[in-house]
Amino acid sequence: MGPTGLIPLGGVLQSMAAWAETTWLHYFATNYKWVWATMETLHFLGMGLLIGTVGVLDLRLIGVAKGLPVESTQQLVPWGIAGFILNTLTGIVFLAGAPYQYLYNFAFQMKVIFMVAAGINVALFYRAGTWPRARRVGAGESVHWAAWLAGAVSLFLWIGVMYWGRMLTFFRPPFVVPPK
Amino acid sequence: MPFLASLEHSAFGTWVREAPTIWAYPTVLFLHTVGLAFLVGINVAIDLRILGVASSMPLAPMKKLFPWMWAGFWVNAASGVALLIADATTKLANPVFAVKMVFIALGVVNMAVWKKQLFRDPNELERVPASPRAKRVAIVSLVLWAGATTAGRLMGYLGPVSGLD
Repeated sequence: MGPTGLIPLGGVLQSMAAWAETTWLHYFATNYKWVWATMETLHFLGMGLLIGTVGVLDLRLIGVAKGLPVESTQQLVPWGIAGFILNTLTGIVFLAGAPYQYLYNFAFQMKVIFMVAAGINVALFYRAGTWPRARRVGAGESVHWAAWLAGAVSLFLWIGVMYWGRMLTFFRPPFVVPPK
Repeated sequence: MPFLASLEHSAFGTWVREAPTIWAYPTVLFLHTVGLAFLVGINVAIDLRILGVASSMPLAPMKKLFPWMWAGFWVNAASGVALLIADATTKLANPVFAVKMVFIALGVVNMAVWKKQLFRDPNELERVPASPRAKRVAIVSLVLWAGATTAGRLMGYLGPVSGLD
């Protein structure tokens, strides 16, 4: 792993970063002291909302609070999606504000990989026949192995997303001047 | 404040702050984040349910989620003490830290006493719409945990800041 993470300096990524620094969003994110603090706060609130709601479904799948019929926990998911959207939007502000800090950061690259993996896990859960079977599981019953696995993988990946998010500042590429 | 300075410069405080290993400051900070997600996140899920979201989901079985919230709390109490020792002179001089502690103390009392009490009365608990008492517990919980999270973030920006996150 080099100083720019998994990706060598240059090419498409570098032109994207250079372009990001010309946008109004970059100006907005870096020229007002309160913007970064507000976005970080919203990012943490969105994180709590996402992990709390999706986490209840995941925990139910792995056998915690089995008194909850599986299908009923699904109603919390739109709130998890709301948290995800909030964090995507605030994340875009960070990205526009300090593109080199993120794009060439090994931890950021891992964070994106974990989020993509979480997306694939969700797609498989709903599209590959796991959910139609799991949703019929009532209070006190256990889900089948595939649904258990989907829940365990989801918990692992989202905790991983938080891990890599926290590691960002410790993997900052050497040529990046810290923001603030 | 020589006591705080000695805490900060103790072997443990120095290790947390300065050890050039991923297992020191980065890992403590990560644990503090995961603990937050479970403590605040599950509280929020229960609060939303009380306030009418996911109304087909029975509330009583969510009692089994309390140990997960407590686990989050204790992980954060321990990691928080480590982060505090590593930066004692700055954090204890920051009024935002005091505000955060007040939010957490009230949040924990609300959870351990009032929310717990709701779960002891299944008849009141499953009322739709929720009883005024249940709604009060949920709204107070949302405000306090959002306040604690916000104050925690803003400690890095307001008041004395050492540069440690």
